[in-house]
Amino acid sequence: MKEGKMIAMLLAGGQGSRLKLLTKEVAKPAVPFGGKYRIIDFPLSNCSNSNIFDVGILTQYKPYHLNSHIGIGSAWDLDRRSGGVRILPPHTDEQGGRWYKGTANAIYENISFIDELDPQYVLILSGDHIYKMDYSSMLDFHKAKKADITISVIEVPWEETSRFGILNTDADQFITEFEEKPKHAKSNLASMGIYIFDWKSLRSYLIADEKNPNSENDFGKNIIPQMKHDGKRTYAYKFEGYWKDVGTVKSYWEANMDLLSEDNALDLYDASWKIYTKNKHLPPQYIGSEASVVNSMVNEGCNVEGSIENSILFNEILIKKGAKVFNSVILSGVTISEDCEIHNAVIMEDVTVKPGTVIGKPDSEFVYLVSKNKIIESE
Amino acid sequence: MKNCLGIINLSEVDSPFGLLSQNRPTSMLPFAGRYRVIDFMLSNMVNSGINTIGVFTGNKVRSVMDHLGSGSPWDLDRKINGLFLFTPTYDYTTINSKVGDIDLFFQNKSFIKNAKQENILMSKTYMLANIDLNAAYEDFIASGADISIVYKKVNDPMNRFIGCDKINFDARGEFESIGTNLGMEENFNLSLEMYFVKKAVYFDMLFDSIEKGNANYMKQAVLNSLSKYKVRTYEFDGYVACINNLRNYFDANMAILNPEISNELFFKHGQIFTKAKDEPSTHYQKNARIKNSFVANGCQIDGYVENSIIFRGVNIAKGCIVRNSILMQKTHVDQNVHLNYVILDKRTTVNQGVTLIGDPSLPYIGGKKAVISKEGKS
Repeated sequence: MKEGKMIAMLLAGGQGSRLKLLTKEVAKPAVPFGGKYRIIDFPLSNCSNSNIFDVGILTQYKPYHLNSHIGIGSAWDLDRRSGGVRILPPHTDEQGGRWYKGTANAIYENISFIDELDPQYVLILSGDHIYKMDYSSMLDFHKAKKADITISVIEVPWEETSRFGILNTDADQFITEFEEKPKHAKSNLASMGIYIFDWKSLRSYLIADEKNPNSENDFGKNIIPQMKHDGKRTYAYKFEGYWKDVGTVKSYWEANMDLLSEDNALDLYDASWKIYTKNKHLPPQYIGSEASVVNSMVNEGCNVEGSIENSILFNEILIKKGAKVFNSVILSGVTISEDCEIHNAVIMEDVTVKPGTVIGKPDSEFVYLVSKNKIIESE
Repeated sequence: MKNCLGIINLSEVDSPFGLLSQNRPTSMLPFAGRYRVIDFMLSNMVNSGINTIGVFTGNKVRSVMDHLGSGSPWDLDRKINGLFLFTPTYDYTTINSKVGDIDLFFQNKSFIKNAKQENILMSKTYMLANIDLNAAYEDFIASGADISIVYKKVNDPMNRFIGCDKINFDARGEFESIGTNLGMEENFNLSLEMYFVKKAVYFDMLFDSIEKGNANYMKQAVLNSLSKYKVRTYEFDGYVACINNLRNYFDANMAILNPEISNELFFKHGQIFTKAKDEPSTHYQKNARIKNSFVANGCQIDGYVENSIIFRGVNIAKGCIVRNSILMQKTHVDQNVHLNYVILDKRTTVNQGVTLIGDPSLPYIGGKKAVISKEGKS
C-alpha cells in the first residue's frame, strides 16, 4: 500500500431523468452549466486543485459527449505521466458482461483497477453537483479523526431535509445516526454524496455487499449503514460554501441564475480555485452598437445586437436586433432572431428561435425548456 | 504541406510601440482581446498543415517562452515534429559577431538541414491575416520556382505602409525587385514577408551572404540574392493588418469591431489559437452599458464601455466611462474613471476618479503593472 495516497472515483453514469430533455443526449455530469462549463468540471477541477491526480471516472448512461469532453484530462491537468484520468465503463470478464447495478457495485467492478493503484484512501465523488471544495482538507480531517469513513455534509434549510440523506452527529462530528429522507429530521446536516474510505476496509465491505442478493449495492443505502452497524468509526466533515444538486429543470435554471446574484457564494472569478473546462478557441464576444447587456454572463464567440437581462449566454450565440431576453439560460450555438421576447427559458443547443417568437411570461412560476421541436413548461 | 518547414523569425531592428514593446517583441503584442500577434501566423501555418515550425525568438525571450511554452495550443507539442525554439546564444562564435540575426540562422543550420522537409516557408508575424498558405504553397510547387513571395495589392492613401517592403514588377508583369515603400505611389504591391524557398536555395543564400559578409539579417540575405533565382509571386487578396507602429496597432485593434473583418480574421481559413487562460464568462453587472465593443472572457464590468477592446480578466467599476480604448489582460479600472483613446498594458490599475485622454493618432499608454492615480497619489 502506498502510504497516504488518495485516489478519486467519480460516479458519472447517472441519467438525471428529471432534467428531461437536457439529459436526452448526455449523462447528467455532461450537462452544460454556468456559461461555459459542464457539471463534471466542478468535481474534476476540485480534484486537480486539491492535488489529486488519480481519478477514475465511472460512466454508463450515454457516455459519448462525456468521453469526448474528458479526453485524456488535459483541461484539468490530469494528463499525467503517472496517474491521471481514466474512464471506466462497464466491461466484460469471464462471467460475461454486466451493467453497473448501483454506486457501490460500480466501485466493486473496478476493484482490480484500484488495487493496481494501491492507495490508502479512496474518495468517492459524484459528477452531479456544483461546488468548490478542497478534498485535501477533508482528508486531513479523516486522518485526524482516525476515521474508517468520512462523509461530507452541508447544512440544508430545515424544510428541505426530507429530500436528503440526513446525518445526526455528536459534538465531535461522530455520526450517531443515519436517516434517509426523514419526515421529521433531528438535524439539518445532509450528506453531499462525498465519502472518504480506507481502501482496505471498503474493499472488504464491497465484496461482502456483492454477495448479499438483497442489497441494492448502494453506498448510502447499504455500505455505509452496514459499516455503522459494525461499529466502524464514521465521521461527518462539515462543508461550508455553495453546493447545489441540480436535480430538476427548475433547480438547474435557479443554479445558473445564482451566478448573477450579488451575494453569490460560488465565486467563479477566484483565481486561486479556478474551474477548468475544455477550451473551444473562440474569439471574444462582440456587443453591438444597439445592444443592451445588463446583469448577464456572456461567453466567447457570442454576438449580441439585441438586449439581454439577467441571463446566461454560452458560446457562439447570436442575439439579433430587437430581440429581448430576460432571466434565461441559453446554451451554445443558439440564434435568437429579430424581435423575439423570451422570459424564464432554458434554450437548448443549436436552436434557432424564429423572428417575433414570444416564449414565457414575466414573473412566471414556470421555467420553459426549449428544444428544436418543443417547449416544455416546468415547475 | 507535409513537405514544408515553417520558420517564424521574431528578431527585429526596431519595435516602435513605446512602453508596449519595452519587454516584448512586436510578435508578442496583445491583440484583439485574447491573442498575441504571433498567434495568427502560427495558426495559419498549423491550419495549412505545416507540422514542424522553428521560431527564432530574437532577444526578448521571456515573453516568447511564456506564451509559446510547449506549443500545445497549436497542437505543436508533438513527439514527431512540432515546435522548435531558437534563442540567441552567447559563445566564442558570437563574441565578435555583428548585429543582426544571420549568425543565429547559421548556428542553427542543422535544424533545417536535418529536417525531412524539402521546402521552407519563412515568415515574419507583423502582417496579420487569415491566409490559406496551402494554396500559396501549391502554386509555388507547381511553378517550379526557387522562391515565391506572397504579396497583396494595396491602396494606401493614408500612408499606412511606409517602410514596408514593396514588390516591383517589370513591364511584362514579371517580378523585378523588392524595395522599401516611401509612399510615392498610392497603389502598390505590398510584400507580406512570407517567402517559400527551396531548401537548397535557402542554404545557398545563407552561406553566400556569410562568406561575402554583406548581410547582417536573414532578410538582407534573401533580398541580396533574389536576382540569382527564379522568383515567383503569389497574390493574397484578403484582409491584412500591418502592425508596424503604434497608430497601426491601435487601428488594427479597432478594426476588429467591424464584424466583416473579425469574421474573416478569426474564421476564414481556420481558427486562431492562443494560450488558454481558463477564465469564466464575462459578467456584465447591474450598471453595465456596453456599445460596439469586443470583450474577452473573465471580465467583470459595471461601467459604460464604448468602441473598445477589452482583454481577459479586466475589471471596470461603476461610474466609469471607457471609450475608444484597449484594456489589456487583468487591468483594473476603479470607480468614476474616464478613459478615451487609452491603451492600458497588462495588470495596470487606474484608481478612482482618474481621467486619461489620448488622441486617435497618439493614444495614451499606461505601462505594464503601472498604478495610475489622481494627482500622483497612490
